[in-house]
Amino acid sequence: MKLYDYILSPSCYKVRLMAALTCVKLDIRPVDFHPGAEHRGPELMALNPAGSIPILEDADLILTESSAMLVYLAARAAPEWLGSGAAEETARVQQWLSFSNRLTASLGGARLHEMLLRPGDITALQAQGIAALRELEAGLVEQGLRGMRFLASDRPTVADIACFPYVALAPDGGVSLAPYPAIRLWSRALRSLENFIEMPGIHRLHELKPDPHIEPDGA
Amino acid sequence: MTHNAMIDEWYPVGLFSKLDAAGRKTALMGEPIDVARDAEGNAKVTEGNGRPLPVRVRYGHVWSSLGAPQKALFAIPEADQAGRRFVDVGVVRVRCSPLRAVENFLDIAHFPFVHTDILGAEPHTEVQNYKVEIRDDEVWATQVKFYQPQAAKSASGGITTEYMYRVPAPTCAVLYKTCPPRPSEWDVITLFVQPLAEDLCDVWPWMALFDDTTSLTDLIHFQQTIFLQDRSILENQIPRLLPLDPGMEIPTRADLTSVAYRRWLKRHDYTYGAQLVAQ
Amino acid sequence: MLPDTTGSWTPVALSADLPAGTVMPAWTPAGSNALWRSDSGRTAASADRCPHRGMRLSHGFVRGEALSCIYHGWSYARAGNCLRIPAHPGLAPPETIRVATQRVEESDGLIWVAVGEPAAAPPRLEGLVPLRSLTAHASVAALETAAGATAGPEGIVWKVQASQTIRLLLAAQEDDQTLIHVLLRDNSSPAQRIAASRAAETLRRAAEALQAKGIAP
Repeated sequence: MKLYDYILSPSCYKVRLMAALTCVKLDIRPVDFHPGAEHRGPELMALNPAGSIPILEDADLILTESSAMLVYLAARAAPEWLGSGAAEETARVQQWLSFSNRLTASLGGARLHEMLLRPGDITALQAQGIAALRELEAGLVEQGLRGMRFLASDRPTVADIACFPYVALAPDGGVSLAPYPAIRLWSRALRSLENFIEMPGIHRLHELKPDPHIEPDGA
Repeated sequence: MTHNAMIDEWYPVGLFSKLDAAGRKTALMGEPIDVARDAEGNAKVTEGNGRPLPVRVRYGHVWSSLGAPQKALFAIPEADQAGRRFVDVGVVRVRCSPLRAVENFLDIAHFPFVHTDILGAEPHTEVQNYKVEIRDDEVWATQVKFYQPQAAKSASGGITTEYMYRVPAPTCAVLYKTCPPRPSEWDVITLFVQPLAEDLCDVWPWMALFDDTTSLTDLIHFQQTIFLQDRSILENQIPRLLPLDPGMEIPTRADLTSVAYRRWLKRHDYTYGAQLVAQ
Repeated sequence: MLPDTTGSWTPVALSADLPAGTVMPAWTPAGSNALWRSDSGRTAASADRCPHRGMRLSHGFVRGEALSCIYHGWSYARAGNCLRIPAHPGLAPPETIRVATQRVEESDGLIWVAVGEPAAAPPRLEGLVPLRSLTAHASVAALETAAGATAGPEGIVWKVQASQTIRLLLAAQEDDQTLIHVLLRDNSSPAQRIAASRAAETLRRAAEALQAKGIAP
């Protein structure tokens, strides 16, 4: 499975993260998105006329939407990430997968503007980002009241992975995460998962490793 | 006006390879400027009012100044050395003082916590003594050593890397580091910082490496990874401006380069982006 | 905020939102804090700035009984003294390296941070359980207007419907924002709790509309 990848792209990171969590080995093909704009060059446009990355290629299958890539990885390697199949849970997975596009447009747009100097109405992008974060926060609060720690169930699904990267990187676009306690707990739960990997801008949870300077003793 | 001394310095304002006739609208020390390629293919920089500004093209970048530079742009002899690959890493904007961005680049003690498992890892956190001096009116730090799990894209395992740091201009720093494929040479990694405002900058990393095996894109991604890990730190330091009052922040022996840099800035009155008095 | 003669208490977070071994930012009129809970469950509020390089400590990490800065790993005890500087493992940090701390009290599922030296303990909220905290881009006055009630020493008693009363604790924040803690009677059903969470969102929308129109008092 070949992933056309940019290390700073949260959408590419979704796929790398999902692959890591489900122990799928990806063949990474780095794309010079910035400054080279290679995603707009002939080789990649032939694969994806929309000129976006990530692109996931597996034999005859070419995927250009990150949510579809998450579903494909889960279906192939770890179907529990698709949810239990119960009607309500299936609907919630789809709800948040679709919602994740709003995070990309708003928080992702603000991040590209503030970090890589892409054009955009930054005030509007940040306001839309805050509106999306509030929806996610409310959704997580309600899930918590139902006894569930994640967006669609009490275990993480593809929906969580679809939403996590742009949320965690909101500060890159000048949008603070301080006002969202439920998002903070959810983010921490995801970052504590076995085989979790970071991307630049999401630092290591150093507390998950014991302090290396304290001798393990019986005192 | 607190930034008179810095106005006559050269600053990076764009990648030469990315210039076009339409121009890049940007800013230099609060003034709007336009960086474009003219009909003959030369770089042209103009202030908002149409006044042409001085131009140099060097190290992959276009350089300009709002004032009248008295000195030539600093030299990087390795930029003319055969066999090196020159890598334009591209711009990243950071909401911090240009001086904070440079100071972070001179720091190694943060590697295990910010560049975890790449440039550093616990328990290898100790910073050994190194040398700092002013050489030809530049800040130099030498014999800087640090244990690194993956020092460069071409490194396959942990090594103790040796570094030299050099600050030839108030918003530019040059790093010389152990070159795994060629032990007799140094890899050169620079941080060129364009001050947009006192608390906002565009950062242009650039590299001159001996590495024939790693793809250009991999080299760019490695350096962008490192810098983006720093960005979330730089945007959360208080105050945004670099404090030059020694009572404001507490250095240790590991911070001798930073101490020398701050003193050098103060001595030259390079204070655009600095906070002089504790507030 | 509940002033008395010598100081006051600001409700900054729900206990449930700060598990053991975590840190979060918390603002009071005395400044920005890194609010953290040690592995053994003890809370502390440290000034949100590492004295080494000015990095926000609320971005840091908690190990054992110490809060560490994410930038260089300098770690601090609950009392504010620096415990360790990883760049110099053999060095005992001098007493002069420390972060300011504020008193923290925890009761009835809420965490309160002191501003000054309040003589009394924070108010008790018996019979209530905290539901959630949310931040409004609106002043306390705009929220009072939207709720049709005035905040007393124990917050606002807000009648959502004839059948349901919600308690709101309001804490003014920077930039005309307000932190709202929503509390309910402890016998509320799960459906009532979800309804209360949605009602709080509606109230926030109303207050923000008032604020945007500039018609809040």
